[in-house]
Amino acid sequence: MNDLAQLVNAHLADTVERVRGSLVQVRNGRGAGAGTIWHPDGLIVTNAHVVQGHAQLTAVLPDGRTLPAQVIAFDAARDLAALAVEADGLPTIEVGDSRALKPGQWVMAVGHPWGVLGAVTAGVVIGVGAGLGDLPSSREWIALALHLRPGHSGGPLVDAAGRLVGINTLITGPDVGYAIPSQTVIAFLKETLGAQHVAV
Amino acid sequence: MSEVLKTLSDAMAAAVEAAGRSIVRVEARRRMPASGIVWSADGVIVTAHHVVEREDKIRIGLPDGRMVGAALVGRDPSTDVAVLRAEADGLAVPAWADLAEVRIGHLALAVGRPGDQLQATLGIVSALSHHAHEERYFAQTDVVMYPGFSGGPLVAVTGQLIGLNTSALMRGVSLTVQSATLRAVASSLLAHGRMRRGYLGVGVQPVKLPAAAADQLGQTTGALVMSVEPDSPAERGGLFVGDTIVAIDGQRVTDGDTLLAALTSGRIGQTVPVTIVRGGQTQTLAVTVGERA
Repeated sequence: MNDLAQLVNAHLADTVERVRGSLVQVRNGRGAGAGTIWHPDGLIVTNAHVVQGHAQLTAVLPDGRTLPAQVIAFDAARDLAALAVEADGLPTIEVGDSRALKPGQWVMAVGHPWGVLGAVTAGVVIGVGAGLGDLPSSREWIALALHLRPGHSGGPLVDAAGRLVGINTLITGPDVGYAIPSQTVIAFLKETLGAQHVAV
Repeated sequence: MSEVLKTLSDAMAAAVEAAGRSIVRVEARRRMPASGIVWSADGVIVTAHHVVEREDKIRIGLPDGRMVGAALVGRDPSTDVAVLRAEADGLAVPAWADLAEVRIGHLALAVGRPGDQLQATLGIVSALSHHAHEERYFAQTDVVMYPGFSGGPLVAVTGQLIGLNTSALMRGVSLTVQSATLRAVASSLLAHGRMRRGYLGVGVQPVKLPAAAADQLGQTTGALVMSVEPDSPAERGGLFVGDTIVAIDGQRVTDGDTLLAALTSGRIGQTVPVTIVRGGQTQTLAVTVGERA
């Protein structure tokens, strides 16, 4: 039993370490959110609300480099944006199928809550789909029993196997977070950038 | 890398899915549906008393998506349990966990169906009520009870149900009415439409017994009678203020909780021996147990 608990602990820590390698901080001049490296050639996915209305954007990479970032795709309705930075060989997270998520499954979110860099919060999936809780939108969401805070927006949500299943986006209370499913991100990138960035 | 976390995660989702076949949506208050658990295949549903605000036009959302009507069978505010009878048949009955299998520190999932879909959250068992009292088996957890989760089950990682979740019994604390208590309450509500509890008509507090009586009885405390209601079963049976109750019908009484535990519904109307210590002497009175209103 203790061995099992230690295995779980070790696995959690390993997964978090790997995921943090693809987490960036997106600074917009007034505040900062998170971002997720989607493609090794410098494609970063974040929330539209992190970058909206800000001309001067920079991305702080996991290796400490601070690079100017350009918005190359934007969708306010889906609350998604794609940024480009001049870099290559960046580490990415394997993309999982958000449609396969089930209530009760383990997930972790990484971001910069209140500016604390690379912090992790863990919990379970409350539910998946449209019409969850009191969100007005008919869009699909992943409802999460974990603690998202300002600074988590745009960062990765991963499943127990460490696969990217969502982009952490908003909260409706201290104990409920919502993420945009990875399938929605794929659809957004396909529509705006074409197929070349989607194959991962 | 070990697959242990994925295995655990999949096991949790499988537990939710298994339990979900017996979890229904209960629409019995304005705007805020809650959850319920299938009690028997022929349509009996258990839910939380506080989510049943109206007694007619109760609607039940079944796991297969059908909506059916339901009638209120009875409710027990002291355990926050209500029993409904839905116009449905062939429902999936869940597997219930044994009381002894639930331990402090266990992982447990709260599962609900406040909308069309199943929803879940995770916590651990924080505390268990220690009263050996069928009507008072509660588990306390650290799960966050989201809106509409009341009336749904606490589910063990095995997929077995530990009990019925309620956020209303204790402010700010998630409590689970464990299966043994649920069974006692549900069977009484189904048989009588209410929870029957025995009644003596005394106010008591725990007190240390004199050394001689303690030695003779093999217990150190009893329930000291502080007040006797006029015309109550206790007064008719000859109990006085200052008596110390030490047993009812052979069942040991050491304080208020054990006294309540002895006043089971089965003893209502029965004349039972009540053992007391009066003036340092042990004696037995015959008392006919009443029913609490």
